[in-house]
Amino acid sequence: MIQEAAASSQTMRRSESAEVVVEARNLSKVYRDFWGRSKKTALKPLDLDIRRGEIFGLLGPNGAGKTTTLKLLLGLIFPTSGEALVFGRPATDVSKNERIGYLPEESYLYKFLDAEETLDFYGRLFGMSPEERRRRAAALIEMVGLSRDRKRQLREYSKGMTRRIGVAQALINDPELVILDEPTSGLDPIGTREMKDLIIDLKSRGKTVIMCSHLLADVEDVCDRIAVLHQGELKELGRVEELLRVTGVTQIRATGLSPAATAELKAVLERHGAADIEIGNPRSTLEDLFLEVVRDTEARPGRRARRPAGASDATRTG
Amino acid sequence: MVLEEQIPQFTAWIGPALLRYAAAASISLLIAAILAWLVQAIANGPLAAGDRVYRGLLAGLADVSLPSPRRVWALARLAIQESLRRNVLVVLALFALIILFAGWFLDPASVDPGRLYIGFILSATNLLVCLVTLVLSVFSLPADIKSRTIQTVTTKPVRTSEIVLGRMLGFAAVGTCLLALMGLAGWAFVVRSVSHGHTLEAEDVFEATDGDGAPAGAEGRTSRDRGHRHRVILDAGGSGIAETTQGHRHQVSVSGTTATGEKTFAVGPAIGLLEARRPLRGTLRFLDRDGRPATKGISVGSEWAYRQYIEGGSAAAAIWTFEGVSPGDFSEGLPLEMTVRVFRTYKGDIEEGIHGTVQIRNPTSGLRSESLPIVAREFTIDSLLIPRRINTVLANGELQEVDLFDDLASDGRIEVWLQCLEPAQYYGVAQADFYLRAGDGSFALNYAKSCVGIWFCMLLVTALGVMFSTFLSGPVALLATIATLMIGQFREFIARLFESQVTGDATIVPGGGPIESLYRIVTQTSITMELDPTPAVSAMKLVDTILLAPMRIAAGIFPSLSSLGTSDFVAGGFDIPGDLLGAHACETLGYVLAFFVAGVFCLKAREVAS
Ligand SMILES: Nc1ncnc2c1ncn2[C@@H]1O[C@H](COP(=O)(O)OP(=O)(O)OP(=O)(O)O)[C@@H](O)[C@H]1O
Ligand SMILES: [Mg+2]
Repeated sequence: MIQEAAASSQTMRRSESAEVVVEARNLSKVYRDFWGRSKKTALKPLDLDIRRGEIFGLLGPNGAGKTTTLKLLLGLIFPTSGEALVFGRPATDVSKNERIGYLPEESYLYKFLDAEETLDFYGRLFGMSPEERRRRAAALIEMVGLSRDRKRQLREYSKGMTRRIGVAQALINDPELVILDEPTSGLDPIGTREMKDLIIDLKSRGKTVIMCSHLLADVEDVCDRIAVLHQGELKELGRVEELLRVTGVTQIRATGLSPAATAELKAVLERHGAADIEIGNPRSTLEDLFLEVVRDTEARPGRRARRPAGASDATRTG
Repeated sequence: MVLEEQIPQFTAWIGPALLRYAAAASISLLIAAILAWLVQAIANGPLAAGDRVYRGLLAGLADVSLPSPRRVWALARLAIQESLRRNVLVVLALFALIILFAGWFLDPASVDPGRLYIGFILSATNLLVCLVTLVLSVFSLPADIKSRTIQTVTTKPVRTSEIVLGRMLGFAAVGTCLLALMGLAGWAFVVRSVSHGHTLEAEDVFEATDGDGAPAGAEGRTSRDRGHRHRVILDAGGSGIAETTQGHRHQVSVSGTTATGEKTFAVGPAIGLLEARRPLRGTLRFLDRDGRPATKGISVGSEWAYRQYIEGGSAAAAIWTFEGVSPGDFSEGLPLEMTVRVFRTYKGDIEEGIHGTVQIRNPTSGLRSESLPIVAREFTIDSLLIPRRINTVLANGELQEVDLFDDLASDGRIEVWLQCLEPAQYYGVAQADFYLRAGDGSFALNYAKSCVGIWFCMLLVTALGVMFSTFLSGPVALLATIATLMIGQFREFIARLFESQVTGDATIVPGGGPIESLYRIVTQTSITMELDPTPAVSAMKLVDTILLAPMRIAAGIFPSLSSLGTSDFVAGGFDIPGDLLGAHACETLGYVLAFFVAGVFCLKAREVAS
């Protein structure tokens, strides 16, 4: 136990020392109508640090404030209070965008352009040379699998195709920080798989990825850390494996054990009064966690008490 | 041409204009800052509001300065692509249609077909180009915001100023291309439709004899083409001119003889139809009916306040002083051209013009030439070539021939006196009405210059449209742009109305402000009738003044498209002065710059993603 705590505090220190890419301080957003009357509190004061090289997942039911958070980080909307820093600079500073790639909730692209023109246009916005634009565009179109449709106007694209070109658009500048709003929505199973591979590939190349989704399997598969939002409030924050670890249960999994060995193990365990043959920490599914959070909040509104397992990753209270 | 205003010299104009611009810009900025502060103060309290406005101002200024040409071009390209995909080129077809209709319906037999065609085509070009760029510019940005595509742009390293400037430039580029095509097509159409020839048949020519019965040439008439024919005067050799009709004449020469020994004639192309006269203008002063210097002539009503009248049959005179007249420029003599308005106190013979005289005087010595007779006809430019050798009237009444430049000019200055001979009839003149024709520019170039004027209008409309579209939805921005241009159009009237309202001088603009006008309409009170100064009336006038004040401010700074228009020059056959074009260019640049900055601030203050 002591050892484990030491190890986890070490990882913490290590991650602490890694560069913080995104920082939210007391960040909140109230949408107002034309007359300045408040209409909707979309995000309650939020503190968040996202470090270089991690895949961070924002999770929550519809209307939880995930997109709002991302938009605040991008400077697309202005915070009601608090501030968001990206690469140490205020979110409204446009120069930070040089190093960011953003895939919006739905791919908001110019319908009258075709795939090549789209990428060319966004490439120009980064001041890329014609040669580089052509090369990147060709590579990205190939990567998202739109080679055959690259001369068609986007108005003719299906939802998944639009999504793919949206992803290509987000990566045109080879960004250090990739912000993906529901990257897998509208994609077919193969596309989803490719998207997850892409995200993991980005991580392996040292990029930071922030994604939000309500497709739990996706988040579970790729994210290092997740935050769970509900009704604009941060409910959970931590490493995926820690959030999902079930304590009080041990799980053993092995291959190559002969039936005799298994029987022997079983005997040993039984001797110790155990009723199970699996050894280790079984993971609950993220779905369980998700549902638990939602159920919990409905039963007891307010900030959720942190579970001991998540202790190593502190949620600061704002 | 009716030139109702004097054209200022560019060098004299630019200084005060810049000052006025700086003043207007700083006042607008101040008002905008105060408004922004007020709005913020309601939400966040005065101190925080001040802080926010200050920061916003700094951020905005940083944004406006030095946009990246690459990104601006990328966004401009996008705007062009958008326009093309919206099938903006359809307007070219529309323009072709307009030209077709012009060909069918404009009457080539009208008094001045050149003016008619040029006026029509240039107006059509102006309207179409401005309308297209207006619609494009007004709907583009709101559509982007609504469809949220703007989010994928603003999350790239793009500054707000680049978005605004890119839009303005892109649509302006589209407008420029359209204008270039329409200008070319329009010019070709005008030239083709007015150029014509006539034929002169031998049977239409009659030998004329002088008093002694000796042959003195011939007279005749040309064939009727394009709704007109010319009287032809030929000398004994058979060459001569087809006299001015519809503002032009033709040269006639003998081209040969037929087998039967009759002459055949060739009529040359129209002369004086599509011209670009370069006038040398003078300054005007008046003598009253007793021959004393007067600051003004007689005003015959406020309508032509600009044009002053002199009484016939008296010593009243209108005197132009021309400077810089040299034999080098006018080796043939002085080609004086004049437009004289007539105000008749009795009808007389309406077919005949009103007779008068023109004299040339030396401004220093007072030596004067004999009186040269003129006949004033309304709305036509008469020309009079004052010869190098001219008779002067000596003190004893004898005539003596002198040299125009040596004796009648002093230091290149020369006076032209206009007097009306018929008692109780009046001549109306303005400074621009008499000029010396110093030369001619090319018509094609002049037409192009007029298109440059249209180009200025187009730039202005585009910038204004984009500016409004940064904070209004498409249709509202369209209305706002049109309203702004309307106020600009009537800015002089609004200024005078306000002056009238403040000074209480109903002669400036009778009828009062909006509420008073409404009251007069409802109660059917004539606009010239003074209202009793009851408290209610005073209150009404006060409210009117308050309502008019912001309109007056707006009228002081809003652009007027018609003041940028120069089609009158081309249609009237005058070269567009470079000074005017320069002033217009600066004016346009000033407005576009202001709209650009305003647009950037508005878009920046806005959450484009919510
Ligand atoms: N422009 C806006 N004006 C007013 N309210 C808004 C606006 N945008 C979002 N909201 C509200 O803010 C809340 C959070 O919205 P947000 O888009 O962040 O949710 P989300 O977590 O992304 O949901 P989803 O999973 O459906 O995408 C919602 O209640 C939404 O109605
Ligand atoms: Mg969302």
